Amino acid sequence: MHGSLRVSQLGKRYRVVGSKGQRTLRDLVRSGFRRTPAEYVWGLRDVSFEVEPGRTVGVVGRNGAGKSSLLRLIAGVGRPDEGSVEIHGRTGAVLDIGAGLTDDLTGRENMMLAGLVAGMSRREVQARAAEIIAFAELEDAIDAPLRTYSTGMKMRLAFSVAIHVDPDILLIDEVLAVGDATFQRKCLARINEIKASGRTIFFVSHDASLVRALCDDVLYLRKGRVVAFGPTTDVMPVYEAAGTEAGNGAEASDVPDRLLPGGRTLRQGINRFGTLEAEITAVRILRLDGAPTGSITAGAGLMVEIDYAARASLDGIVAAIAIKLPNGTSCFDTNTQVSHMELPVGGTGSVRLRIERLDLVAGDYTVAVGLYDPDWKGAYDSHYNVYGFNVIGVRSTEGVLNPPARWELTTRTEGPVRYSGTG
Amino acid sequence: MRPLGPSADLRRKFELLFELVLRDLRIRYMRSYLGIGWSLLNPLSQIAIFSFLFRQVMPLDIPSYTAFVFCGVLSWTWFSSSLISSAGAVVASPELIRRPGFPVTVLPTLSVITNMVQFLLALPLLLLLTVVDGGRLGAALLALPLVMATQYVLTLSLCFPVAALNVRFRDTQHVVGLVMMALFYMTPIFYSVDAVPEEYLFLYEMNPMVTVVDAYRDILIRNEAPDLGALLVVLLLSIPIALLGRALFLRESARFAEEL
Repeated sequence: MHGSLRVSQLGKRYRVVGSKGQRTLRDLVRSGFRRTPAEYVWGLRDVSFEVEPGRTVGVVGRNGAGKSSLLRLIAGVGRPDEGSVEIHGRTGAVLDIGAGLTDDLTGRENMMLAGLVAGMSRREVQARAAEIIAFAELEDAIDAPLRTYSTGMKMRLAFSVAIHVDPDILLIDEVLAVGDATFQRKCLARINEIKASGRTIFFVSHDASLVRALCDDVLYLRKGRVVAFGPTTDVMPVYEAAGTEAGNGAEASDVPDRLLPGGRTLRQGINRFGTLEAEITAVRILRLDGAPTGSITAGAGLMVEIDYAARASLDGIVAAIAIKLPNGTSCFDTNTQVSHMELPVGGTGSVRLRIERLDLVAGDYTVAVGLYDPDWKGAYDSHYNVYGFNVIGVRSTEGVLNPPARWELTTRTEGPVRYSGTG
Repeated sequence: MRPLGPSADLRRKFELLFELVLRDLRIRYMRSYLGIGWSLLNPLSQIAIFSFLFRQVMPLDIPSYTAFVFCGVLSWTWFSSSLISSAGAVVASPELIRRPGFPVTVLPTLSVITNMVQFLLALPLLLLLTVVDGGRLGAALLALPLVMATQYVLTLSLCFPVAALNVRFRDTQHVVGLVMMALFYMTPIFYSVDAVPEEYLFLYEMNPMVTVVDAYRDILIRNEAPDLGALLVVLLLSIPIALLGRALFLRESARFAEEL
């Protein structure tokens, strides 16, 4: 299928600079031509995911998370040390844009060269030349040497060529940060066009709002590993929660994993985020009679109970609970602040949310719980995608809600009532 | 990559190569007054010096000496410039190496072809000079493509490993420069192999460029058929080395992107 992509167990390692790998002939001679083991760090490891044709996938993560490495491997630049990338169709890439242009050639000559390098034939470039030049808004300057161009003009030319290659899979690496706002909007419009035409797009960006606006799916990388891959609405909250965690400093590796009663593992940075100045020590999902449960019948109620410990130095804490669909969509989201409840700090406590009726359709649900500071500047402890329950009942059609409802019929016809299909 | 047929793939490489050769030539000459004239002036100045030295200062008594030196200098320049530029071919083009699907084997080939174009540009002048300097031109010219093909394959076979090696060991480019300098004197460019004492002749028999330079002189000065047997030996030895070098280059190419 053109435009599909499968990445399995992908790993790429890099030699640590200054380690004992041989770099010069002198090192080789000194070591007596023996191979000294070099030190490696894994830039990417165990990365597996599949993308269906026509999806727009955002790749997010902090600097050094391996986003660009992943894009390069997908583009076929360099070879993976583990695993494989399987691509169907032609890839086009807008990576380190602006490089690869030659100052002494004219814009037109650069356009031809860049087009050929990107995989077009001479004829294809010539056929699209007018379009490329018009998109780059370089009609007047295209025959001038590139060295007379401004940075923005060069960028527009490079981007315009790359985007006219007509690939099945388009890779875009954080390039929209350059160029003026008008051109950025134009690029986004063009990306949307490409998206609408059913191409697969891979999009690396730090701009969360852009990712939310453009992408169907998000791949969240952290230290070369996949933290989450799924629908944008599902993954972006995880990424953004991690962002606040990063700001407040608690490092993932400092916090030991916790094995939960249900058999799941709570791991900082993966499904747990926050500074841990206040800590969720236990979460229980209960029936209204207080018995622990993993499932309820449609229309029944539910309680979520949180045990917590909070340092006395905190100004206060807010507990928040959300019930979500497996794809991350919130069905119900509330917190203690909207109910004007103050939680005491400097000790431990239990807070319980009682939901009298949970009129959700049958299916699986997750419960996200979190403790936040009262100004919502960041999370103290937030458990995401850890707890869950299911609703048993007759699955209605589309939709999330399943309130008590029934059909009522009133007829205002003259003469005998006719039902279609019987007359 | 889009599944290109082998012919489309080859065509793309050819178009790319063509455009890159054009780029190299344009860059080299674009902002200079003499432009393409420089590709003639460089060998011409060498020839003038050699002619003065070995005709006036230390006469070597070689017939049509100017054409003789021109022959040697031109083919040598193609050979050594290709090797020297191929050492930097990969290292100097990180932006191309990092393009998805860029056919890396184009880079060493580009070094050889760009310098071949320089050779071709100077060739008419060489022919003219031969006539003026009392050399004879004739039917032997038909063998010229074979000699050039031999030199092309020979040069390319060495450019692949040199280009690959220089990515790992930047010392390679210095070694190549040194070896080329030594080989310039160890190849009969400005003197005749006839003058070499017999006990040292084996050094010359191992040097494939001796055969190539000699063949050019047979054709362009003496209007004689070149030593086809010797040429074929060079050609047939160069082909497997070129394939091996290309394989080595491709194997190494996986790490180019991160070594740069």
